[in-house]
Formats: sequence, structure tokens, C-alpha cells
Amino acid sequence: MILQLGACGSVTNVTVSKSFPAVLSTPKEVTVAIVFTDEFSGYSGTPNNKTTIDLGSSQVNLFKSAFKGLFRDVYFLNEQTPLPSDTEMVISLSNAEVQVATPSENYLNVFEVWLKYNLSVTDSDGRLITNWFMPGYGKTPNAFMYSKENAISQATNVALRDAGAKLLLDFYRIPAVNQWLREKSSESKAQ
Amino acid sequence: MKAKLNSFIGSYLCIIFLSGCTAVTTIDEYRPTNESIRLDKTEKVVILGRRDAGHYETDSEFIDCVSKKINTANVRVVGEQTFIDSIYPWFEPRTAPKGLPRLKRLMQENVVRERVTQQNIRYLVWLDGSTETMGQGGSISCAVGPAGGGCFGFAQWDKISTYDATVWDLVELTEKGRLRVDSEGTSYLIGAVAPIPLLTPVKSDACGSLGNQLKKFFTVD
Repeated sequence: MILQLGACGSVTNVTVSKSFPAVLSTPKEVTVAIVFTDEFSGYSGTPNNKTTIDLGSSQVNLFKSAFKGLFRDVYFLNEQTPLPSDTEMVISLSNAEVQVATPSENYLNVFEVWLKYNLSVTDSDGRLITNWFMPGYGKTPNAFMYSKENAISQATNVALRDAGAKLLLDFYRIPAVNQWLREKSSESKAQ
Repeated sequence: MKAKLNSFIGSYLCIIFLSGCTAVTTIDEYRPTNESIRLDKTEKVVILGRRDAGHYETDSEFIDCVSKKINTANVRVVGEQTFIDSIYPWFEPRTAPKGLPRLKRLMQENVVRERVTQQNIRYLVWLDGSTETMGQGGSISCAVGPAGGGCFGFAQWDKISTYDATVWDLVELTEKGRLRVDSEGTSYLIGAVAPIPLLTPVKSDACGSLGNQLKKFFTVD
């Protein structure tokens, strides 16, 4: 009886597109190390006990492309790799949250996905510059003609693109980062 | 008596057939001048859908439909996704400029201006709207038995398409005109053993009317 009832609830495993467009931006002259932990690179989000979203490689590809658009020199490392000597800033990424809403939950004719990332930004000596929480939001145009899996995949893809756009357009507007850059610039002028 | 009843049913069905499949479409247009917008042979137009509203999105199917209508008038149209990808992250749902002041600031970014120039895009048309099903009535039920099956009953629903189009000049950074299309119609489903759909092409009518009107905006030299 328990087995029969258990078989009625299916788990949706969602895979997300791994390719994203090249970014159009002017990178700043900063040498940065981006740390992708093994947990981040292999991350699977579980917004509820019936849905798993395989985000790992998609988000790594997205952020690799986005950070190349932000900084002129970027090193992509995992947590075991020592920092290159010319590193000026270190950014470690982690997944803070994944949420999904289906039409039966939001009473709209759309599937929605929210992603939240935490970026820990430090200088090369490990001093914290800022801890930035960055959201990403995506939805499907409607709920017609989509399987649940396909709809969540499309909404996640939009949310990832949104997170990338948010990073590219807002990173230098973070007051602490802006301040750090100004100090760096005045230090190099003094030398 | 039977002949009269048959003729009554026949006339009723005929009226439904004739009136059921037509949409009522209204177009409002605003242009600062009566002159059409001139495009040289190398210049292109991009048509984009607004996707920043919470409860609806301008669907890409509608954008494609309008693009195809305009393409037939020798106006060269750049694909929506091609343009959005080429200029990522500046035209994502939450980052795209919502008004001219923001567009002016955006075009001050060298990389953006260069990419737009590189693609020879002169005009940007924003489409914003959706098609919604409003009133639904009647009921239809279908059944299958050992001796066969069939549907009996009658259902009807209203659809309304409302879309706004705004034309921006990406060189002069001005608005060149606005269009609004409202299209509505009722569709029917008659269950007379086999289900007979009488669908009103509301969205297709809106696309056709908007596309034809937009075509008149542009003149290719």
C-alpha cells in the first residue's frame, strides 16, 4: 500500500542549457581570482522534495563568461588551488537559495524560478570587501505546451541570464567595491 | 412543423457560422508627422517584446508573426533572439530600457552603440501586450461506449488581444510613433456527435492588422 502510494508522486529532474551568449561589456583592469568550489560546480538545487534542478555546470559557464566581461585578467580556480601572486581580488561564489513556483501555486499562467547567489569578495590578503547577495528571476511566457520539466528548465535559463546581467551591470555599483577600486586607483597613481 | 423547426435550426447554425469566426479589430495610431519613416537599403529594424510585467509576457510567436508581415515590405528585420543575444546583458527582461531617457544613457556606452551600428539597426519596435481568454460559457461532454462515441453540448469563449507598438529611432534617439491594436472575438465549440470548432483568429487578426499598419510606417529608399 505504501509502495503504491509512493509511486504516485514523481520527482522532476530538470537539466538547464549550458550555453550562454558572449557578454558585451568593457572589462576593468583588475586581476581577479574566481573560486568555484566543488559544491558550487556540482550543485543541484532542490526547491521542493519533488523537484531537482541540475545547475552546476550551467552556472559555472554563465559566471565564467560574465566575469570575463567584468575583469581584464581572470583566474578560475577551485578551493584547493593556491592564488596566483598577481591576484588583487578574490571572489567566492555559493548558492544561497533556489525557489520554484508552478501555476497551481502562484495562480498565474506561468512557471517562475528564483535563484539567489552569495558572492564573498575579498582582497588578496583575505580581508573582506563585501558579501553580496545577488538574485536572479525567470519565468515562462505561459504554461501552455510545456511539460513541467521543460517549463522549469526554460524559467531557470531565464533566471541564470538575469543573474548574469545583474552581476555585469551592478557589480561596480556596490559601494564597497567602488570604494576599493578608487583606493586601488589612487594607490597606483601614488606609485 | 418539422420543416419549420429544421429551417430554424439551419438558420441559427448559419448565423453562428457567419458571425462566429470574425474578430473585431481596432487600431489607434499616433505619429508626430504624416511623413513615413525612411530606411535606406542597408538599414534594419528589430522588433522586441516587453517581458518585464509580472503576470504576462509578449510572446515570441506574436513577435515572429509581426516580423514576417513587415519583412514582406522589403524592410529588413533582425531576429529578436539574435539581437538580444548579440547585445547581452543590455536587453534582458529586467535590464532593457523602458523609456527614451534610459535608451539615451544606454547608447552612450561605446560597446552598445558600436554593436547596434555594426548590425545596421536603425529602428527598434517595442511590442507590449497579450492575448487573454475572458468569458467562458456553456458545456460540452464527450463519451465513448461499446457502440461508439460522441460529443454533445455547446461551449463558447471570448478572446481579447491588446498590443501596443512603439517605434524608436536608434540614431536620433527619438520616438517615431505609436500604434495600439485591440482585437476581440468569440469562438464556439459545437458538440453534434463530432465536435465542431468555430474558432475566431483573434491573435492572428491582431498580428495582421498591426503588421500591415507598421509596414505603412516605413518606406525603403
